[in-house]
Amino acid sequence: MNQTNPPENNIEAKPAPVRSWQSRGRIFGIPVSLIAIWAALFVAASAVPALPVPGMGGMITVNAIMTAISGVVLGPAAAVANMAGAIIATILFPFGAFFGPISFLTATVGGLIAGLTFANRWKLAGAIELLLIASWFVNPASWQPYMYLVPLPYTGIAVLVIFIKPLREWARNQILTQNKVWMWPALFLFASIGHAGEYLTSNSMTNWMYNLTWQYWIPTLPYWIGVDTVIVVLSMVVGVGVLIGLHRARLPHASDLYIKK
Amino acid sequence: MADVGYINQDSFLHRLDARTKLILMLAILVVVLVFTDPIYVIAILFLVLGAWKLAKLPLNMVGDIFKYFTGIAVIIFVLQAFFYPGETNLLQISNPIPAIGFSGYITLQGVMYGLALVLRLVVIMTVAPLLVMTTPMSDLMLALVKFKVPYRFAFILTTAMSLFPSIQNRAELIQQAQLCRGVGDFESGNFFVRLRASASILTPLILGAFRDSQILDVAMSSRAFGAPIQRTFLLESHFRQADYIFLAGSCLSLVGAVILRIMHLGVV
Repeated sequence: MNQTNPPENNIEAKPAPVRSWQSRGRIFGIPVSLIAIWAALFVAASAVPALPVPGMGGMITVNAIMTAISGVVLGPAAAVANMAGAIIATILFPFGAFFGPISFLTATVGGLIAGLTFANRWKLAGAIELLLIASWFVNPASWQPYMYLVPLPYTGIAVLVIFIKPLREWARNQILTQNKVWMWPALFLFASIGHAGEYLTSNSMTNWMYNLTWQYWIPTLPYWIGVDTVIVVLSMVVGVGVLIGLHRARLPHASDLYIKK
Repeated sequence: MADVGYINQDSFLHRLDARTKLILMLAILVVVLVFTDPIYVIAILFLVLGAWKLAKLPLNMVGDIFKYFTGIAVIIFVLQAFFYPGETNLLQISNPIPAIGFSGYITLQGVMYGLALVLRLVVIMTVAPLLVMTTPMSDLMLALVKFKVPYRFAFILTTAMSLFPSIQNRAELIQQAQLCRGVGDFESGNFFVRLRASASILTPLILGAFRDSQILDVAMSSRAFGAPIQRTFLLESHFRQADYIFLAGSCLSLVGAVILRIMHLGVV
């Protein structure tokens, strides 16, 4: 029998599998299994009440932290993970869903903007951020006195990071290279983008659906700034721990995709 | 936080296809957002409460839901009653206070608008549990797949749903471990303390879950997840006559609501 073995160098000649954006079992380069796990974590975090919403029976839950850091952990796939998690959370805990079946939009948009910025797709992230800002300002309720102040604090930071290239590049690099000192402020900036996306969507939907006037927004503004600061700072603490842990344990996350080798 | 789940009953709403119920829910959401006249919104609310009753769901749950938004409902109503720029004065409260934008009067239009927004909130808050309590989770997922939602997303939803209890258990274990280390006070203390304590759970929880995801990834790959094949399903759903009637009703109500709005009806 004339049997020929394939030469060994044929095996070596095959190119190594390359991670592509459309590769099987992945969304934006992140394994579907990881996205499903994140969605389950999001649901679990939605069951933990953290901060009361002034005048409402509802609570801001720990999932606000998950949304804020989702972009740097999963990249743009954070939008899919947060959307799945938020849909399930709305199904399991519908009593807190003030926007009914579209409540999932807030966490989705937050994850999407932060994820796109982390993936350096800043034009798309910026366009979505500007659309969000526009959705706030085209509402006649936002033309009332001082209403421009409401989205200003963290949305301002988000706009600066997205559109100012040196700042964006610096923040990305600190996270990608896991700089022990500067990773903290960098994560603060990215958590601000994620959280700002979430709360601006939420605020805009509140205004369109329930028409809250400046007499609600302005007196409660200091409280909201305090809440946002607590959430962003905690997100930074959790985010740094998670990213360092993922890197040391060599577990897959978004930084693997964007780091220059 | 209170949660709701599927309640097994024999009612027309339970028998409807999950797709029909999803479309109905979205139609109700759109229609209720179109109108700002409380009479129109009350009519929609009665429709939802009627469906609630016909589905043999406990009506006392509506009261439970109300607990969650009483505060915001009061705020919405008071803000509109006091600050909505109406024409028909009902009651003089004080002299005009320009600094806070108060004309001194409570107007009929303000009261009507405030009432409509509160009723809108009630409708939105009662319609979502109606869907959840009359539809098994498997049917909801199947409905999403039938709506041509990518299978990968439907898979994420079902996997996340099934993993949620084990992640909650893991969170409790981590909480106990952190308590043993004296890391955080989860039960008492002010909310900053509790929030910091919750954050101390998140990091180990996320890392542990990510480690587990690798096992899931291997299991998925070994089953050729994502292979380009024609997928079949264990469960199947079909539209029946009642589904077509309700779908037609939803479309007609949407069109009707838009026409009424164009004719300036249903608006304060």
